[in-house]
Amino acid sequence: MAEPPQDPRLHPLADIDRLIHASPRLMVLTYLYVVESADYVFLMRMTGMTWGNLSTHLSKLEEAGYIAMEKEFRGKKPHTIIHLTKEGRAAFREYKKSMQRVLDDLPD
Amino acid sequence: MSERISLKQAERRAFTAAFEDGLWDIFIGCVVSMFAIAPFLSARLGDFWSSAVFLPFFAAVFLVIRALRKHVVVPRIGRVTFGAARKAKLMRFNFVMLAVNIGALALGAFAAVKFRSMSGWLIALMFALILLTGASLAAYLLGFRRLYLYGLMLAVSPLVGEWVWVNKGATHHGFPITFGVTAGIMIFTGLVIFVRLLRHSPLPSLPSEEA
Repeated sequence: MAEPPQDPRLHPLADIDRLIHASPRLMVLTYLYVVESADYVFLMRMTGMTWGNLSTHLSKLEEAGYIAMEKEFRGKKPHTIIHLTKEGRAAFREYKKSMQRVLDDLPD
Repeated sequence: MSERISLKQAERRAFTAAFEDGLWDIFIGCVVSMFAIAPFLSARLGDFWSSAVFLPFFAAVFLVIRALRKHVVVPRIGRVTFGAARKAKLMRFNFVMLAVNIGALALGAFAAVKFRSMSGWLIALMFALILLTGASLAAYLLGFRRLYLYGLMLAVSPLVGEWVWVNKGATHHGFPITFGVTAGIMIFTGLVIFVRLLRHSPLPSLPSEEA
């Protein structure tokens, strides 16, 4: 964990959830926040990430308990459906509030 | 980041991305084509059978569109389900469309009984208003902006048709021409969007464990 910033006005930044703050994961969570569930292809298309890249970020989010991945079968083919967990939704909401607080506090 | 993050916009973008495949344009165009073709069929088959002929036609178009969506579009754009707010919006859309249809039917029945000798212009105007109201409400509730334009084209169609019929001697109040052109534009637009989707969204390469 990095040292808290020296400028007191920027202190709330230290509380920002870094797992969410990384832009690829933020993009993924933003889309998962506004829909009920989505699959890999949809998220790849919306975020512009490759399967491998997306898979890495989704694993991190899953480890943190922010998302859940459910395997289902369409015919004989496996298909993964991804959705935000309760914890993930709460964490995203908290992240949004923290960011708003930080940005509102910044001088023009 | 050059753009403000707006969750509302993200939701709208997700919704548009899931349905912006041109297939609805094609379907609506096929429905509108009924106004262009029905007058000819009506003259040959009568009102009842000319309407009945369209049911299997719509069913076939609907099934083809569903199959295209399932086998061609979804593998390219992915699968997404929307949250409660969007579902409530779709429910509102269904109710409003039902109300518009019932209102239009009631208005038509009332006009047929009360004003048997109504002028062609008045009928065209009523028809135009119904089409404009229905399409605009649908565009607003679905966030499908192209429908505003389609609504305008649909509203103009009976009025221009009446003018062509009165001044140029076109058959069937000009419906085959005006609604034919409108349906053609909608189907063409849908085809362009669909082909563009196929070109710009190739099948993504996924590992074998994810199909």
